Amino acid sequence: MRITKIRIRFLRDEEVKYISHLDLMKTFERAVRRSGLPAAYSQGFNPHIRMVFGLPLPVGVTSEAEYADFELSEEGIAPRDFMEGLNRELPVGLKIIDAAVMENGINIMAAVALASYQIVACCGDGCKTSRMGELVEAFLKAPEIVTGKRGKQGTREVNIRPMIKRLELYDDEYLRSCVPGDARREQIFGFSALLCAGSKSNLKPELLVQALSEFSEIDMRILRVHRKALFIEAGGKIRDPLKPLGSMI
Amino acid sequence: MPVNLTDEILGSVEKPARYTGNEWNIVRKDPCGVKIRFAFCFPDVYEIGMSHLGMRILYHLLNERSDTYCERVFAPWTDMEEKMRENHIPLFTLESHDPVSDFDFVGFTLQYEMSYTNIVNMLDLAGIPLFSSGRTKDHPFICAGGPCAYNPEPLADIMDFFILGEGEEVINDVMDAYAAWKDENVPREEFLNRIVNIEGVYIPRFYDVVYNPDGTIRSISAKNGCPEKVRKRIIKDMETAYYPDKIIVPFIDIVHDRIMLELFRGCIRGCRFCQAGFIYRPVREKSAVRLVDAARKLQQSTGYEEISLTSLSTSDYTQLECLTEELLKEMEGRMVNLSLPSLRIDSFSMDLMEKAQKVRKSGLTFAPEAGTQRLRDVINKGVTEDDLISSVTLAFNGGWRGVKLYFMLGLPTETYEDIDGIAELGGKVVDAYMKVPKDRRAKGLRVTVSTSSFVPKPFTPFQWEPQDTMDLLREKQKYLQGRIKSRYISYNWHDPELSFLEAVFARGDRNMCRVLVRAWEKGCKFDGWGEHFKFKSWMEAFEECGVDAGFYASRKRDYDEVLPWDHIDIGVSKKFLARECEKAYRGEVTPNCRVRCSGCGTGVFTCG
Repeated sequence: MRITKIRIRFLRDEEVKYISHLDLMKTFERAVRRSGLPAAYSQGFNPHIRMVFGLPLPVGVTSEAEYADFELSEEGIAPRDFMEGLNRELPVGLKIIDAAVMENGINIMAAVALASYQIVACCGDGCKTSRMGELVEAFLKAPEIVTGKRGKQGTREVNIRPMIKRLELYDDEYLRSCVPGDARREQIFGFSALLCAGSKSNLKPELLVQALSEFSEIDMRILRVHRKALFIEAGGKIRDPLKPLGSMI
Repeated sequence: MPVNLTDEILGSVEKPARYTGNEWNIVRKDPCGVKIRFAFCFPDVYEIGMSHLGMRILYHLLNERSDTYCERVFAPWTDMEEKMRENHIPLFTLESHDPVSDFDFVGFTLQYEMSYTNIVNMLDLAGIPLFSSGRTKDHPFICAGGPCAYNPEPLADIMDFFILGEGEEVINDVMDAYAAWKDENVPREEFLNRIVNIEGVYIPRFYDVVYNPDGTIRSISAKNGCPEKVRKRIIKDMETAYYPDKIIVPFIDIVHDRIMLELFRGCIRGCRFCQAGFIYRPVREKSAVRLVDAARKLQQSTGYEEISLTSLSTSDYTQLECLTEELLKEMEGRMVNLSLPSLRIDSFSMDLMEKAQKVRKSGLTFAPEAGTQRLRDVINKGVTEDDLISSVTLAFNGGWRGVKLYFMLGLPTETYEDIDGIAELGGKVVDAYMKVPKDRRAKGLRVTVSTSSFVPKPFTPFQWEPQDTMDLLREKQKYLQGRIKSRYISYNWHDPELSFLEAVFARGDRNMCRVLVRAWEKGCKFDGWGEHFKFKSWMEAFEECGVDAGFYASRKRDYDEVLPWDHIDIGVSKKFLARECEKAYRGEVTPNCRVRCSGCGTGVFTCG
């Protein structure tokens, strides 16, 4: 029997940003059960729904670009029906915004290549917006950016420059609402970053901000991180996960 | 106004999802659209509290009322508490994040005595005066229910009132009375006057306790118009009793993360040490049809992957065979596991487990409780050595290789011969394994012997008994350890300090209140969590308050002593319990209720 695989794109909002990745998977599993959709189950003692999630999101981060592949035990389920059926059973804060049938291919976890983030940081005193713009430019011009990455076996130095594809400042209404009690509006900066992501090469927003802070010698503390998009690599090209055979980004 | 739980705070504590709510099936109401706000508090952390079946039932039951919004509160873990105090964030509910002090009722469930310091801590965190006498109309009514409420006296100065028995009906009676009271502009005390005659409601301030010079109680007397004895409330017909069609599905892992089907209340066995068996009498079952229906609805509304059958003695459920057959049929198609804890091990249950529990055959549990037949007869635990050996043999033949044996140390009339018996039983279980042919039995036998310290409880035949002193218990543990020599048997025990305190509070009187508060002032909380238990501080608290802990735990009481819970009526009579105690000392067994009625007194409820 041909397995039908549906890939979904969903968002993860404020209400559920503190649940772990494992908890998120459990939440989806129970939602699928409630929906009555024909999910495929694994064999063995404790059958689980056959699903694979894209790059796990750290606790505390919101996202509008999360992806998961679901295997179905029946053919002919329209992606729209899958989306609506599952959305009815998802808790507040989780919502599927797109879905497509995938031909059998590389699963989402293995294919992820890039991620784009919006990072809101509170910077040390005396840093003007114009200066920050120059700093980012200078930062990107550096041939190497070495910083200490903390791991299980201690800290090791890594060059993160090749993992930064794009880095810019941005500003919007929402930034104004991020000001914590002990800071002023002028200290809040928004960074929009396109970074390497996935099993081959992965740069976390925290490490990027750490490196920027070291480079500029300005204190920076992250207030919010929001994942805007995820991209996969398919056929040597960077693509939208829901259009693996489609047009290039 | 919701509290300000910033990302900074949530990002700095362990398991922030304990505090953020938004789980599937929570109830959302507009707080301004209801007359009554009820904060249901479980005095332990989220993972423990969410596993409690009682809360899952009462939460939905209260929310069925259009005039009431019930929200949940759990004890914040120590790291969150620190942040809360630093940032002046008062105790809040999970649904609306509103401060608990804004509510009409704050209700605690008393599941175990060592959760009491958490209750005090939560009241303090909420900004509510600790003692009932200190509260005004600006404060919520603080109430409590649950199994420990049958001896309410240690919390008598703290709680405004208690609900004794099963809450499903009485809580609605209390809410009705409150809705009426709230409309009129009458004093706080007037509400208590209005509910004192509702069956199941106990209001401590309406009862005076007078002590003898030796510390025992001379009398407990009711003020004018109040019932001399407060009788517990029960649900007469379990068949029509409220049971929710949906329960909250947590995001994070909790201790009992599954649907729990309550088969029946009460127990026919009458084991003399077991408080639950007596306080939940009379036995009332739910029909298999009703249960299968509930299972279906709950599975549909939650998506849970496991259902568990719960009761005090599941093997005694009269429709077990038909229920399990139906459930297996229904749940198979939905990929739902059936979990069967504490079944008597016989061929029926072995067969059932084969069909139902698709889990690795790791361990089976048995609870002989005592090492010799003599002592088992004393405690009326109807398990013989033959029962045990034939059960384990069946299990080993079926491929099980792990066996846990639960016992108690310090039971009344216990001698070192009885303790030898524990070691011998362990040895016989190993022998039984060895007798099974090598090709049938699984490799790697593991027998675990586990002993807890006996705690005499109110409303049991042993309520007059002394608890062994901590030193004696430690001696016995050491002795048993020396007697267990087989490499297949491991022995688990816990230091008796916590059991000692449990024994003090279980049979404590109103003097416990100030000790409790003093212990809390010294930093005692989460006493059931090993890493937070401060025994030394507890003992200091007793000393500073001039209360002798041993008086409550280690003293043998006379049959005619007035006990702190004598004004509470659970149906089972004091005379019956005394008779049972006498029989215990004679080593006489009492047959179970289905074999013959022994006149415990719960016939007065006319439905069991």
